[in-house]
Amino acid sequence: MSNVISASHLTLAYDRGKKEIIKDATFNIKKGDFVFITGPSGSGKSTLLKALYGQIKPIEGNLVVGGLDLTTARQRKLQDLRTHMGIIFQDYKLINEWTVAKNVVLPLMIAGYSLDVQQTQAHRLLKHVKLSEHADKYPMELSGGEQQRVGVARALSKNPVVILADEPTGNLDEYSSNVIWDLMENACQQLETTVLVVTHKIPSIFSLPYRHFIIESKGVYEVH
Amino acid sequence: MKFIKNHLMFILPLMAILLGIEFFLVFDRTTDSYERGLKEGYSMLVVAKKTMTLEELKQLNEHIDSSENIKRENIVDQIAKGISKSSAQEILQALPYFYSVRLDSYVSTSELEKIKKDLEKNKNIRNVETFGSSYSSNYRLFSFIKFTLRIFIVFMGVISLFLIIKQMEVWKYAHKERMQIMEIFGAPLMLRSGVLFKIALLDALVATIITGAFFLYLKFYWAGKSGIDIMMQNQEALFRMTDIAILLASAIAIVVFAVYTVVFSSAGGQE
Repeated sequence: MSNVISASHLTLAYDRGKKEIIKDATFNIKKGDFVFITGPSGSGKSTLLKALYGQIKPIEGNLVVGGLDLTTARQRKLQDLRTHMGIIFQDYKLINEWTVAKNVVLPLMIAGYSLDVQQTQAHRLLKHVKLSEHADKYPMELSGGEQQRVGVARALSKNPVVILADEPTGNLDEYSSNVIWDLMENACQQLETTVLVVTHKIPSIFSLPYRHFIIESKGVYEVH
Repeated sequence: MKFIKNHLMFILPLMAILLGIEFFLVFDRTTDSYERGLKEGYSMLVVAKKTMTLEELKQLNEHIDSSENIKRENIVDQIAKGISKSSAQEILQALPYFYSVRLDSYVSTSELEKIKKDLEKNKNIRNVETFGSSYSSNYRLFSFIKFTLRIFIVFMGVISLFLIIKQMEVWKYAHKERMQIMEIFGAPLMLRSGVLFKIALLDALVATIITGAFFLYLKFYWAGKSGIDIMMQNQEALFRMTDIAILLASAIAIVVFAVYTVVFSSAGGQE
């Protein structure tokens, strides 16, 4: 199967290269892989994820995502790539002045889908994450777990090639966390979406086969 | 209430800038016509040994616009009452030629001095009287009023620009998160800034309409009854329909500048 993500001797740094976070990392991730990335706090897990959606540019090596070389990609191409990604954040990053339904269809709105399609998709996705009755509410009216389900629905709305999740259950209780893992497992299994999750701990209830990378001392290592 | 306040915080300084622009336009038109009046009311006297054509005078200085020959017979008639015809004829022959000379613009006093010197360089010109003292006081008063009003308008514009920048910071704070989230999901610049553009363009339109309405009121109701000569005489210059286009274009230019400043300073971009 083809690689969705391919990193070769990748080095990521802040402060114009002065503060190296990840050094000389090489790994490949294929279509349909479910990948956990773990590591101690401050090891560079979120930095790697930011690099994958083009927020941070590698200072050395190559990083290719969905066929686009992020070391040389222009802003326009990066924007295009992001429309094929689903991104989930620990702090949800929902737009508080928009309704839940409007938040869910943000990627469709960006892609220029008609209002009819957006409404149909919002209805379907909210039903999928069991939030149909909250469609017209605003994010602040929902609990943390419900907000993260909105975040997952948004990430799934355009059938993304890859889902990147940064500590998606970091702020949630056990029940809400299990719901989120369940939704992500389904996405990977049914849609063959590649999923990369940055987390402190791999959930014990997880039932799908997965790959596990650890970030330690600036290196990215796969655990077999 | 918050909605109205947010709009007013942008509309009011924008209106101040538009008022400044419109005052500038009106003042320029009014002073132009006043300047024309001063120019037309002013002439210098040239005394020449022999007749001089306008072209000859124009060659001496480019500011000379027209000249009028003062008939020597009229002068003789005034000064030679009761004397014989032959004596009057002798006086007439001895008299130099007088010309009332008008200029093409209302020049400064130093320029006036230069014109005088240029004319006096010609060997046929015996004397030039510029009536410099009254000209100078008029010119200085006129220049002073023009200068202070322009300074006031510029000052008002700068203060208003600061208020707009302040409001841009409020916008930035209010819209930053939404624009950053949209950017992460790949929204192009125009989509990210769409909401801001709609708000700002609406404000620009409102500010233009209010400013235009204010000047239309001044033109059609206030100026005629004001009792101020310069206003009553220049009522037509108070507001022209082309001013609407100038005000709207200025308001839109300010809005585009304001919105793009917010959008670019809110962008996450690449680290």
